[in-house]
Amino acid sequence: MRKNFIITVMVSAAIMMASCKDVRRSPGRYYMPDMTYSRAYETYAELDTNIFTNKTSDLGEGKIFYNALPVHGTVARGEMPEYPYKNDSLGYAMSATVVNPLPALSADEMKEAERLYLVNCGICHGPKLDGNGPLYNDGNGPYTAAPKNFMIDAMKAMPEGTMFHSVTYGKNAMGSYASQLTTKQRWEIIHYIKSKQGVGAPAAAAKDSTAMAAK
Amino acid sequence: MIPCNSIVKKLSLCTFVFLAFFSLQVSAQDGKQLFQGNCASCHNPFQNGTGPALKGLEDRGPWGDRNNIYAWVHNPVGFMATNKYTQDLKAQYGGTMMTAFPGLKTEEIDAIVSYINEVQPPVATKPTGGGSGTDNSGRNALIFGVISLILAIIALILMQVNSNLKKLSDDKEGILRPEAVPFWKNKIYIAMTIIVLFVVGGFYVVKGAIGMGRQIGYEPEQPIFYSHKVHAGINQINCLYCHGNAWESKHAAIPSTNVCMNCHKNIGEYKGDPLFDADGKEVNGTEQIKKLYAYAGFDPLNPNAWDANKAKSIPWIKIHNLPDHVYFNHSQHIRAGNVQCQTCHGEITAMDEVKQFSELSMGWCINCHRQTKVNFYNIDSTGTETGNKFYSIYEKFRKDLMPDTLKDNGGKYILDKNGKFIIHPSKMDSVTVKDIGGIECQKCHY
Repeated sequence: MRKNFIITVMVSAAIMMASCKDVRRSPGRYYMPDMTYSRAYETYAELDTNIFTNKTSDLGEGKIFYNALPVHGTVARGEMPEYPYKNDSLGYAMSATVVNPLPALSADEMKEAERLYLVNCGICHGPKLDGNGPLYNDGNGPYTAAPKNFMIDAMKAMPEGTMFHSVTYGKNAMGSYASQLTTKQRWEIIHYIKSKQGVGAPAAAAKDSTAMAAK
Repeated sequence: MIPCNSIVKKLSLCTFVFLAFFSLQVSAQDGKQLFQGNCASCHNPFQNGTGPALKGLEDRGPWGDRNNIYAWVHNPVGFMATNKYTQDLKAQYGGTMMTAFPGLKTEEIDAIVSYINEVQPPVATKPTGGGSGTDNSGRNALIFGVISLILAIIALILMQVNSNLKKLSDDKEGILRPEAVPFWKNKIYIAMTIIVLFVVGGFYVVKGAIGMGRQIGYEPEQPIFYSHKVHAGINQINCLYCHGNAWESKHAAIPSTNVCMNCHKNIGEYKGDPLFDADGKEVNGTEQIKKLYAYAGFDPLNPNAWDANKAKSIPWIKIHNLPDHVYFNHSQHIRAGNVQCQTCHGEITAMDEVKQFSELSMGWCINCHRQTKVNFYNIDSTGTETGNKFYSIYEKFRKDLMPDTLKDNGGKYILDKNGKFIIHPSKMDSVTVKDIGGIECQKCHY
């Protein structure tokens, strides 16, 4: 009898110890869950996106569209005017006529533009703008399409407006960066690239666009 | 003069021979460079991208005839008008038209084709082993536990044997002893047990109560096995690429699906080291990318037809939760305060599955605010300003940071007995977050 008892105790202790894993998959308990998890709608919550916005057919009373895009033509406070051209071949051709609306950058702004370049662009186009960022790495990285080398003559001659068009809508394998960078930030980065290429910013851009138009 | 002339002649001959040899070499070995420079943005030899994979192109469509390739590269639109195969390709690739390269010479196109025929797929380096390192501490605890349990049982048995033997010897010698009180009725034993239970139970109750609402170590299973180690560690993507809002706003924010697709439009396969989840199970990286495609509504066979507006959000599970009654601002910490992401989130770049590294309790916040020095404003005698100009309003602290000469009440300098100024050390050696109000209640609760 006693032997059985001892064996049971030992086995159950062993099981308890073995079953203690250090992977914590549950968030645990709260004193006041309704204070911790707010009843307010959370941005991008499933309720919001899947129930409200996907059923655009029943646009009616009592429906709230939190994630709807702003009305076309809306300009947020402090945001620059909208880029006028659409994402098609005509827009791409017309983009050459757009000039960078920002004046030449100050040293501080250039530093910020460099930071933005390194965070958003450098991963593919390379910190040295040579089209060989860590993701491509001479074809050894996971990215299989060669990013554009900004230091070749064709890219040096590319009008700033065309670069803006490509950053805004994406080009070939590259996606759109309009959701990650504001209009101002995109123009700042283009200033940075042009200065790294050694192309003087506003004057050269005007010359480039006429050259493109002549072609 | 004559020997000199001959040397020049020889040299020029040498140069000529060398150049001729070299220029022959150029077109052959530069196939790779030409391919990378002109084609690789849209074409990969082994994988469909913006344009089709090019390996084995001479066996397909009209490309067996080199003249067709020349005509196509020099003028795709003109060639397509007469060729059904390329019209179908255009439809398959979402109506994207190849750029014309009228400047490429026929030898250069030959070099590119021969490069495509020769190139071999990169060999995925798969180092052996590297499986999840088994943690020995858990096993050690188990062994210690079993050993102490066995020792306790032996001690109990020996005590029992001892009392039995004593009873036997007492019986033999005829000593009559009162029947011993069994230990479960012994008041001393009962009192001791109650005290032990109270201490142990109290410890766990307090620990549990403090731990309520705290999630340190929380490591939920996410809808997609997204490895921060692969993205931010091995591939060196900056944290702010996806969580750029941390620089600009209160929230670090979770990237929308189109941000994932910036790269994964092209990267459809995982080729790195084997991945393991926290439970030690192996995870198929390529399957996880397919899950992303399902959310994004992306068809890898027809990449150009993808519409980002139709993508669905991925229901990621938030790990770092602060209660709603606490105000926390990311940009204030990482931009003004220069705090690294890893300070609070741990070595994210080494985590396959992210788990909560910090306690995120109030004591944890306050401790850091007590110890962290701010980038305090200072201006030296030449007018050079250093640090964050916001702090220029804290003039008293700026004075307190300087060593000062002592004055008496009348404003006169006090001199020591040698007639020198008495310099007393500065009152503060640094300004911490606490000094500028970092532990005031209203800073975070309002």
